[in-house]
Amino acid sequence: MRKLSTVKEFRDFRHLIVSERKAQQDKPTLVISADTGGQASGVNDIIRLVKRYIVERSLQQRIALRITGCHGFCEMNPYILVEPGGHFYPKLKTEDVPRVVEAAVGGFVDEGLIYKEPREQKSYPCQGDVPFFKKQTRTIMGENQKLDPIRIINYIEQGGYAGAEKVLTNPDPEWIISEVQKSGLRGRGGAGFPTGKKWELARASGNGHEQKYIICNADEGDPGAYMDRAVLEGNPHAIIEGMLIAGIAIGATQGIIYVRGEYPLAIKHTLIALRQARDGGLLGKSILGTGIDFDIDIVRGAGAFVCGEETALIRSVEGLIGEPRQRPPYPIEKGLWGHPTCINNVETLANIHVIIDRGAEEYARVGVPGNTGTKIFSLVGKIKNTGLVEVPLGMKISEVVYDIGGGPVGKAKIKAVQTGGPSGGCIPASMFDLPIDYESLVKAGSMMGSGGMIVMDENTCMVDVARYFMNFLKDESCGKCFTCRKGTQRMFEILDDISKGQATMEDVDLLEELALVVKDTTMCGLGQTASNPVLSTLRYFRNEYERHIKDKRCDAFVCKELVGAPCQSACPLGTEAWRYVAHIARGEYEDAYRAIREPNPFPSVCARVCHHPCEERCRAGTSGGSAIAIRALKRFITDRFDPSVYKPERVAWGNGKSPRVAVIGSGPAGLTAAHHLSLKGCKVTVFEAESRPGGMLICAIPSYRLPRDVIEKEIDSLLDKNITLKCNTALGRDITVDGLFEDGYKAVFLALGAHKSRPLRLENEDVAGVYPSIEFLKAFNMRGEQLARGRVGVIGGGNSAVDAARMALRQKDVDSVTILYRRTRDEMPAFAEEIEAADQEGIDIQTLVTPTKVITTKGRLSGLECVRNELGDVDSSGRRRPVPIKGTEHFIELDTLVVAISEDPEIDAISQARSGSIERTKYNTIQVDSTTLLTNRSGVFAGGDVVTGPNTVVEAIADGKKAALMIERYLRNEDLIRPSEPRLPRVYVEPVKTDEEGTQQGERAETPRAPAEWRKRNFAEVEVSFSVEEATREACRCLRCDLEFTKPKKVEAETEAKPAIVGKK
Amino acid sequence: MNMVTLYINGLKVSVEKGTTLLEAAQFLGFPIPTLCHMEGLSPYGACRLCVVEIGEGPKAKLVSSCTYPAEEGLKVRTASARVVKARKMVLELLLASCPQSKTIQDLASAHDIRQQRFRQEYEDCILCGLCVRMCEEQMMAKAIGFRGRGQNRSIGTPFDMTSDVCRQCGACMYICPACSLRCTYTEPEKAICGGCANLSPPCLEKEKFDDMMCYMEPCVACEIKKD
Repeated sequence: MRKLSTVKEFRDFRHLIVSERKAQQDKPTLVISADTGGQASGVNDIIRLVKRYIVERSLQQRIALRITGCHGFCEMNPYILVEPGGHFYPKLKTEDVPRVVEAAVGGFVDEGLIYKEPREQKSYPCQGDVPFFKKQTRTIMGENQKLDPIRIINYIEQGGYAGAEKVLTNPDPEWIISEVQKSGLRGRGGAGFPTGKKWELARASGNGHEQKYIICNADEGDPGAYMDRAVLEGNPHAIIEGMLIAGIAIGATQGIIYVRGEYPLAIKHTLIALRQARDGGLLGKSILGTGIDFDIDIVRGAGAFVCGEETALIRSVEGLIGEPRQRPPYPIEKGLWGHPTCINNVETLANIHVIIDRGAEEYARVGVPGNTGTKIFSLVGKIKNTGLVEVPLGMKISEVVYDIGGGPVGKAKIKAVQTGGPSGGCIPASMFDLPIDYESLVKAGSMMGSGGMIVMDENTCMVDVARYFMNFLKDESCGKCFTCRKGTQRMFEILDDISKGQATMEDVDLLEELALVVKDTTMCGLGQTASNPVLSTLRYFRNEYERHIKDKRCDAFVCKELVGAPCQSACPLGTEAWRYVAHIARGEYEDAYRAIREPNPFPSVCARVCHHPCEERCRAGTSGGSAIAIRALKRFITDRFDPSVYKPERVAWGNGKSPRVAVIGSGPAGLTAAHHLSLKGCKVTVFEAESRPGGMLICAIPSYRLPRDVIEKEIDSLLDKNITLKCNTALGRDITVDGLFEDGYKAVFLALGAHKSRPLRLENEDVAGVYPSIEFLKAFNMRGEQLARGRVGVIGGGNSAVDAARMALRQKDVDSVTILYRRTRDEMPAFAEEIEAADQEGIDIQTLVTPTKVITTKGRLSGLECVRNELGDVDSSGRRRPVPIKGTEHFIELDTLVVAISEDPEIDAISQARSGSIERTKYNTIQVDSTTLLTNRSGVFAGGDVVTGPNTVVEAIADGKKAALMIERYLRNEDLIRPSEPRLPRVYVEPVKTDEEGTQQGERAETPRAPAEWRKRNFAEVEVSFSVEEATREACRCLRCDLEFTKPKKVEAETEAKPAIVGKK
Repeated sequence: MNMVTLYINGLKVSVEKGTTLLEAAQFLGFPIPTLCHMEGLSPYGACRLCVVEIGEGPKAKLVSSCTYPAEEGLKVRTASARVVKARKMVLELLLASCPQSKTIQDLASAHDIRQQRFRQEYEDCILCGLCVRMCEEQMMAKAIGFRGRGQNRSIGTPFDMTSDVCRQCGACMYICPACSLRCTYTEPEKAICGGCANLSPPCLEKEKFDDMMCYMEPCVACEIKKD
């Protein structure tokens, strides 16, 4: 562009360019984003290949190429956008390039590569329909898409410098300022001060002849925020134009862009843009002959977050150490070198040319009153669509997180959103209805900040979040104010102690007190907002702090010193899974069995039916590979040993006669409690209502999952001379709690379980052919009755539904089995392995369907009327609720229906027992203190499903163990509650020598099962054990997370001391 | 003469424009503790002990009185509950870092602080900047300054090189609240904690001062080093 010397020349030139652009034939254009993020994802290779392909096939006349800055959908880098159709091809590999180019030239869509929503597999050929883009208002980011940042002509073609032209034609500072005020634009750097007001004050300041400065603050220090980078890299001319207009408005002749040194691409593009603007006559002395001087210099930051603070920034530009000073006097009065200085954020300035060109009223239509315009947020963290999103202010957080962001990235629910970077706070999921505006966020304890939005899910530890930000702030504090320097350091020390389990509740009080004082007394914004992460996490997530301190647990499995080995930490029993896996790798099967049996009296049972929370947390799985098959390895060991070989340690009671304890219920909770109490020397009587012991293990879990002889052997090994088992004795009918105490029992443990199936509450639910699931399962398991016939339907999505379905399939005279569930497959609570096995056996699983009527013929079930669902809004738990679709009612013919939606405890038995009213919860379970398992009645404890509702076997065993411990303390008149210790690995098991590559990267061994066609006709056990080779190979895959805590120092020194041998052999 | 009228603790006072709140309060006789303030040196605002509460209602905030210029109609409170709470925490933090300084100990006991709840450190410099300002403004040498940020902030000569503008006047040692006025003077037996005996004084190139007449109060560290 040649140098223009008058405003008229520029106007003619600009109109010529714009009209030429409009007239140009729209040949298809490949738009590729080559910003920092794109380049880091390998887009440079893509661009090179595109260019080569076009040249090799001489397509230059038929297709255009435009390299731009960031469009916002950074998750999909590297991508190509094809205009004019708006076809979006994400996550491309180099071999995909020819297909995209051909599709663009040919004017069609390549279905294989076009953007698709992962789950629905629905493709979105047009960019505007893609959910990420649909709800955005991309005033600023949209411009990035349309121009090449290092071509000033592109900017002018899109209407750039039109605002500057307007202002240069008729320079009227008052008009400019009133337009900006009318637009309602507020500072986008974080504080939200009205920009128009700031310019008005800047204009009025000084004595009229003084040098004034306008500074663009591009020192974007917040971790995770990169909006300003995207604007500077992608559209630097917008900033130049904004600063020019600002300079004219406030009377500044010198502009400075203070950009952080860590943005080399932004600096490069800005320097090019400045040169082009100067060469064109738009910057410098007497711009376009108007007599107005304005030029812009770039000053680079040197890596200090505090230099984003305006007074520290000014000192940095002056060449001094970056320290803030107290205000007043504000930079508007006394700024750079003592002169009036107006400092604005990059995004604020990027909005200026939009306001001046389109008009303030047009601008103010977007957003809400008091918070007009759009804001760019960097949406990052545990969310599907990470990137930069531009939305009108006032939009709800939930819309941004779920509609634009696409919701959580895995199964973990979203817990909170952190806004405002290290100066902001966390907003919990329950408050996601909040509109995003300056005031609402501050009221909630956070702030808008520069626009960072970090999404956090259940696997984020809020204590760790506070600690992370405090670490950052402690390092970035300039150190001038004593309270900020020492305050951030001390707050970090306390948070560090909490995350290591070395703090007390008083430390939390001290933390809060210190946070408030730091907030009050420091001089600059860094210190004043440094307390926000701490205060907001304390406000909304105090329970996490308490868990860390009192229980020494980190429920997100983040704080290493509290987690230890995740498998052990996740197990409700604290089983050292790493230990038996290590022993299996070494071939030490007896030691492995001991490690399994010691904490768990039902090892063979758990080896078959446990829901393995250890595997969910296994680091081999969470770090990107596949979890170790811990449960299957346990099965490998338990198959080799008879339960009777393990002789647990027994003690005598000690002082006086052994006390008598009554245990009601012989399920896993009851029998575990009885066993442990017996080991401690008590005399236990177990009362069981059914004819045989075992609880749900015998009544409900089918024998093809858990063979009867396995349970019987395990139970037999636990019953000893201290334990008396009385079957066919029910609480309420045959015994009462009062009666037991009168008989001389000193303590009672209620472990009745939850055996009452929950009804659907539909009319005719009690006709013949409709069975509650527990009744259905018990009929076969206890009495051998096969109740299923013909076409069987099972309603529900949990384990008892899948059990009932697979059980029904095996019964004779059954033609088909269908499971009906009201949500989607992903949300079915049954174990994934069970669902997979059901699939293999040919069971039809229908999702998103709800029964509405039971249809009967002659007093018997003939079918079910159902309606289809769709997933509606997200409710407060973070899941989408099923909403029936009108008009989709349909009829399913059925001969047998099993209702398996949930179970409840039969708690009426207790009140019938005149047991001095044992308190119950609103869910009709027994109310207990969660730490001691004590009910409101002295000496009466409760645990297992009767307290929690239907739960897993291992949780029931854990409750039984805890109850035995608590009952012992109670009987000895000791304190029930003692301080907790974190469960860390303590025993050293030497690792097997393996070669690095081979075993560690291997695939997880598949669960060995009998073939589906054969197994679905009988009740033989479906799963079989590993072979020795399979087990050893799988065990060697273990990452041995325990060694960090147990490896003896001597061994460590020896293995590290061996020097590398360098030089000739 | 441009005068400004403001209200301190309810009392009306008129001062010259440019007077700080600290000067105004001291003029009226209200006690405000200070550490990094010294008459004759420019105010710095580093120690945060002199904070006072200004304004009213939800907009009330704490500011360092040594740097805040008096404004027309301003309402100032020098010892409100919020101010006292802040001062006590600041003193606790000071004790946690620099317990051997008699100045800090006296300030703490004057505010009824008997203990500190943080991990104990023994630093010999609280980075108040008095020595820097003294050297620059009164002694006109500007030999020492601040370096580094946050935890690594320290005072010294550029790149720790021997200074050719330092005249060894000792003003920096004279004015330091941390090292001078240690609690025991020259009698090691009277040392309260002995912390100062293990510190090296922050004065630079101490060997050069051995022959000169040191007009400071001698301290334990000095005495021990002599032996």
